[in-house]
Amino acid sequence: MPSPQTPPIAGSAIDPTAVRSPIEDAAIERIAPDHVRARLEALKSEGYAMLLDLGAVDYPERIPRFDVVYHLLKMPTAVSTIGDVGTPQRYRLLCGVPADNTTLPTVTDLWRNADWAEREVFDLFGIVFEGHPDLRRIQMPTHWEGYPLRKDYPLRGPAQERSPRPQFANKSNLVAGTPPTGRTAEALQQQVTLRKRATSTSEQSRLSQSECKPGQMLGPEDRSKP
Amino acid sequence: MVLSMGPQHPSTHGVLQIMLEIEGESVTKAEPEIGYLHTGIEKSAENLFWTQAQTVIERMDYLAPECNSLCYALAVEKLLGISDRIPDRAQQLRVIIAELTRIASHCVWLGTHGIDLGALSIFFYCFDLRENILDVQEAAGGARMHPNYVRIGGLQADLPDGHVERLDALVKKFPGRMRELRAILQKNPIWQDRTIDVGAVPPEQAVSWGLTGPALRASGVAYDVRKAFPYSGYDNYDFDVPTRTEGDAYARFVVRLDEMEQSMRIVEQARKSLKPGPVMIDDPKIAPPPKETIVLSMEALIHHFKVVSEGIRVPPGDVYQAIESPRGELGYYVVSDGNNKPYRVRTRPPSLYNLQALKGIAPGNLIADLVVMIGSLDPVFGEVDR
Repeated sequence: MPSPQTPPIAGSAIDPTAVRSPIEDAAIERIAPDHVRARLEALKSEGYAMLLDLGAVDYPERIPRFDVVYHLLKMPTAVSTIGDVGTPQRYRLLCGVPADNTTLPTVTDLWRNADWAEREVFDLFGIVFEGHPDLRRIQMPTHWEGYPLRKDYPLRGPAQERSPRPQFANKSNLVAGTPPTGRTAEALQQQVTLRKRATSTSEQSRLSQSECKPGQMLGPEDRSKP
Repeated sequence: MVLSMGPQHPSTHGVLQIMLEIEGESVTKAEPEIGYLHTGIEKSAENLFWTQAQTVIERMDYLAPECNSLCYALAVEKLLGISDRIPDRAQQLRVIIAELTRIASHCVWLGTHGIDLGALSIFFYCFDLRENILDVQEAAGGARMHPNYVRIGGLQADLPDGHVERLDALVKKFPGRMRELRAILQKNPIWQDRTIDVGAVPPEQAVSWGLTGPALRASGVAYDVRKAFPYSGYDNYDFDVPTRTEGDAYARFVVRLDEMEQSMRIVEQARKSLKPGPVMIDDPKIAPPPKETIVLSMEALIHHFKVVSEGIRVPPGDVYQAIESPRGELGYYVVSDGNNKPYRVRTRPPSLYNLQALKGIAPGNLIADLVVMIGSLDPVFGEVDR
């Protein structure tokens, strides 16, 4: 049953939780960014002691554009046996984040492992977690521009945004992402013409001795002959 | 004083840089810097067919490649709705492969951990055992490191002739080799001095840091995905989940050694229950029909062409699937938009979360003990950075 907090989804792309009934044992809930912090605090006090994962998905044509996905696990926080743990309940909280306001409150004070997870979502999707103690890029270099896991980011990265390569690496003109200057092609062409000139005289004498003219194809009747 | 340890440091097990704030020999703050091995596997996977994506995903955790494959295949099978149609033989062989991978991965961990602590000979014992396992893996899948044997819908091929005998020889050799590993280290006073009470994590902190796998079980929380959320028929096998309560590096060491023995127990049981049968789902929309049939049947030829050139299509939806990898809970959150490529493959990397706990446990310890902690958390950087 949709709760009053459940925000509407619009646009042509998919809402994975709506397209079909869940195929796993996790409890799934969709929530608006304003309520996510309060809901997570409530879940934590209900016994969801472990933040399994925090990731994001980009749906460029949808409103809201991003989904930040929290996977929680109900876990005892003391020494416990297999029987105590049993089949712990999983909880998945999807939070739609609009493209024009990509901010969410941090949960690093609730779960300590949210630190790197939030940094990674910031690094690869550009979603800012307010109140995070150390929100820097984690996977990409610190000076990187753009957010690589967004769908509008090209697979090979924008060429003009590449960092300049160190001098010793610029030995060839084949710097990744820059258009070829044509020097290599020119040099190759020159070599080809030089070699042609050098070999043309010997080539002609060899051809005149052979019975076969260049470019002549063997017909099927010729092939059967020994 | 601030000291940069790594990224080219032999005991960081890859390309880990740790910014250390030290006073004399003791660490006051440790901030791991990762990302040196970032290869954009998740982005690559979005641009490949469902079946092709498996090859790059397998390269995340390069010490347990088949665990990545298995988890991804299970997730896609859930989306396709074919989880209950995977043949029994494929399920059993998947369990055998996954458990052998676990032993092989723990062998690398123990060998390199031993070298960090100055126990050089253990490396050769471990790598000999690992080499035997890789031989078995190579015979089945065709490659030592990344066999890509587990496929969506089953397995790439059935076992070759004589493979079961090779497996039996390995099973026979294993207990003696384990006795040797234990004899070298478990009661060794130097080893105990270096590892006992080093990097202790109480259970409450372990859960808060999101530790899983042997690191969590060494702290006393007996959470094992194989028991909690059984997959591939793990509920049919009889095995224990070894736990300790100390939560220090020695506890993690003992838990992993015990786990290797339990894994071999599972392998033996799965080996006994092996019966001849198909190893791939009989569905031409998902698995291409056998190559021999394409000269006999027009439909088989068409299906083969379509599956190979166009890829399979997966109904839209999202799913979270987890398995117990050698390092802990490995999860994939896979989203499909109904196309022939995965819309999003988000990994829950156990190494990332296990390594992060270093920030909590390193302060107050000696630099020499930091090396022990990194080793006992067993991070694999292909997976941390992806």
